[in-house]
Amino acid sequence: MTTLPAGFTRTELIDPFEIHVGPVFERGVKGARRFAFVIDERHINMRGVIHGGMLMTFADAALGQAAWDVCDHASCVTMTMHMQFLAPAKLGDLVEVAPVLTRRTRALMFFRGDFTVGDETIFSVASVWKILGQD
Amino acid sequence: MTDTQIALPPGAENISRGGFNLYAGPFWRLPGEGATHLYGLLVEPKHMNSSGSLHGGVLMTFADIAMSQTSRAVSGAKTCSTVSLTCDFTGPGKLGDVIIARVRVTRETRTMVFLSAELVCGERTLGVVTGLWKILEQ
Repeated sequence: MTTLPAGFTRTELIDPFEIHVGPVFERGVKGARRFAFVIDERHINMRGVIHGGMLMTFADAALGQAAWDVCDHASCVTMTMHMQFLAPAKLGDLVEVAPVLTRRTRALMFFRGDFTVGDETIFSVASVWKILGQD
Repeated sequence: MTDTQIALPPGAENISRGGFNLYAGPFWRLPGEGATHLYGLLVEPKHMNSSGSLHGGVLMTFADIAMSQTSRAVSGAKTCSTVSLTCDFTGPGKLGDVIIARVRVTRETRTMVFLSAELVCGERTLGVVTGLWKILEQ
């Protein structure tokens, strides 16, 4: 299993699919957490680079954690995700993101995130989340 | 026939051979309907979130695989890569759902394929997806 990247702790995951593809790591305080995972054999495609599905799953997991920080663990769901695949990442790479809250209304949270390997941005996301039970 | 094949429409062909496709799957190719390319996924316990619904990552992975396969099928290319993908989550998926991806090609150029897909379970629409694929190798 993946060793802990320096400076990170393990994120507590509760969704079965995130536990299946994890672990996910984090550092920083609530509301400003940075998330990461290490690409292993489970995450790649037949060309030996990261599968888009894993990047999108990690994005949903990281933004979901950030959304939880913002709405204080209220139930919230992904409404839409817009994603750009900028460059491939390979086995052993550490993929990191610090989700940014662009705007929050009573019922909605707008996020964006640039995903990096080292200094290179490999993947970019913009996403809207709904806080359930709020009009 | 496995239990999964029994749950899926007739003619389903397993397209998960390794890597994340297999680890997150299996995913199935179904006989198409004219210009609409069809794929299938049976929702298993590993695919869920903690609220008892299908995890969004699974739905997007399924869309990516179905649309990538369609890009390769229509272009004849050996490899294609996802350039952009937008997914609207229109309804929750449940354990045991058979989800069908209905994929259509909007436009194909020499180097790019524009696609759209609806992810449905019976009368319910779970997701609406558009995306752009780059043809890498002919």
